[in-house]
Amino acid sequence: MNTFLVSARHEMLNTRRARTAHLLLIVFIGMVIASSVIGWVTNQTVTGVYEKVVADGLTTAPNPFTGVSPLYYAGNAVIYVLLIGSLMAIVLGVQATLRDRKAATVDLVMSRPVGSAARLLGQLAGLGVVLAAVIGISFSVSWIIISIINGAPLGWADTGRVVAFGLVSWVLLTTFALLGMLTGLRSKQETTALLVPFVIWSAVAFVLPQIGTAARPVSLLNPVPAGSSTGGYFDVVSTITGPLSLTEQFKRASSIILQDTNVTGDATSSILILLAFLAVMTVVVVATPRHRMRSGLHE
Amino acid sequence: MTNLAIATDKLSKSYGSKVALDALSLDVATGEIFGLLGHNGAGKTTTVNLLTTLLEPTQGDAEVAGHSVTGDAMGVRRSIGYLPENVQFYDHLTLTENLRFFAQLSGLRRPDQRIRDVLHILDFDGHDRQRLGTFSKGMRQRVGIAQAILHAPSVLFLDEPTSGLDPEGVRTLRETIVRLNSEFGMTIFMNTHLLSEVTKTCTSIGILRGGTLVHQDTLARTLAAFPGEDSLEAIYFQLESEPVS
Repeated sequence: MNTFLVSARHEMLNTRRARTAHLLLIVFIGMVIASSVIGWVTNQTVTGVYEKVVADGLTTAPNPFTGVSPLYYAGNAVIYVLLIGSLMAIVLGVQATLRDRKAATVDLVMSRPVGSAARLLGQLAGLGVVLAAVIGISFSVSWIIISIINGAPLGWADTGRVVAFGLVSWVLLTTFALLGMLTGLRSKQETTALLVPFVIWSAVAFVLPQIGTAARPVSLLNPVPAGSSTGGYFDVVSTITGPLSLTEQFKRASSIILQDTNVTGDATSSILILLAFLAVMTVVVVATPRHRMRSGLHE
Repeated sequence: MTNLAIATDKLSKSYGSKVALDALSLDVATGEIFGLLGHNGAGKTTTVNLLTTLLEPTQGDAEVAGHSVTGDAMGVRRSIGYLPENVQFYDHLTLTENLRFFAQLSGLRRPDQRIRDVLHILDFDGHDRQRLGTFSKGMRQRVGIAQAILHAPSVLFLDEPTSGLDPEGVRTLRETIVRLNSEFGMTIFMNTHLLSEVTKTCTSIGILRGGTLVHQDTLARTLAAFPGEDSLEAIYFQLESEPVS
């Protein structure tokens, strides 16, 4: 078995055994499932009130949920992927590369016929499988709950959209896992290895969008991306910083995939930007010199 | 060179202006147990790190099992086993899971039978599903030996293998080292502070001082060359304090 496959399997095994990873995975899966449940409860409550109002003869208007896309109920998952999923991916990424440096097992690994690029790509592949499994489980449960709300299994088209949303989520989370791997390799202390990617994540998730969408700052925590103001300073800044805001690109792509009526247009450019970030981060991490992988921590 | 397991040629390592190892030229014959002695900071660990390709030399070269550390690092890594000082493992994984990972990284396709054999050799029967975090220091050091010999390397590097062990652990490890050499023909290169262990284990020695090799010979010839001295310790301090020629 080659270094790539051995490292990938080892990464999966380590994640399966790590308590922090367990906790984060449970929280993430729980929140994504909760987003569908919240949608379900909202539907039940509003429909209940609506039926009572109709029975009392107070309205003839249609039920507000009539005609709503079944995927509406998955909309809240966008923000959970963005917030909890990204943090989970960062922690998994940091653990992956910091583990060997922290436990000094790196010398046992690097004294074997192991190429640094194959080793790092293997670790990344292992993390990618873990993240895919997490997304797969949470979105499968979401699919079931939405089908229950809908009264019938989701059709092929809608199922395809849920799968596409899962793929876009995987690209985002893997990019953040790579950010964690990078700081796990480069930082001199464990605390900075965790702190630096969180600061970068905060900037990407909160500061960059704020610069371009200051006209509607409260939109930052909404699943729906905010439209930038038209004309003037904010428009110019938004044009420059927009592509850099990974999270805004994710929100935009996800909203279009999930047929959110508030967002129009094509998701292609946003998905390409997400893929470009993934590719660049992969190259940066894999190019890490061998001696850097075995550098000690100053603690 | 064919009879040599290790041959270094002016092997040097500097960190900026600090010279950690200065033009080291030493030979270790196949089948020997070689002990590299020296004070802390003498360059022993740097030497092992260079010979195991964990570090790249600033100047010079070395051949380990016929492979150049600068030209064929992968060949060197395929031929060696390495036990670092204060060896650490993945404590949340079991003994077998740890060993399987290192065996597969060394290129073993189906390592489970080999792992069972090595665990038997090192008297670990019944511990295979135990997590490493529960092992004592002595047991961990033997696991360190186990991971180093899984792929049956021709040269085994041990960096302070008895560090932190109690007398029983030291004795067990010594017996293991001698057995690996006599039964499996492994050439063993070890750094150590324990001169009493060198006397009981090594067939030849080298002494490093400030990154420079000040002595290299077989243990028997070294002892014979100092008839007035009654211990290796006295000889070591005498050689260690002589001016470098």
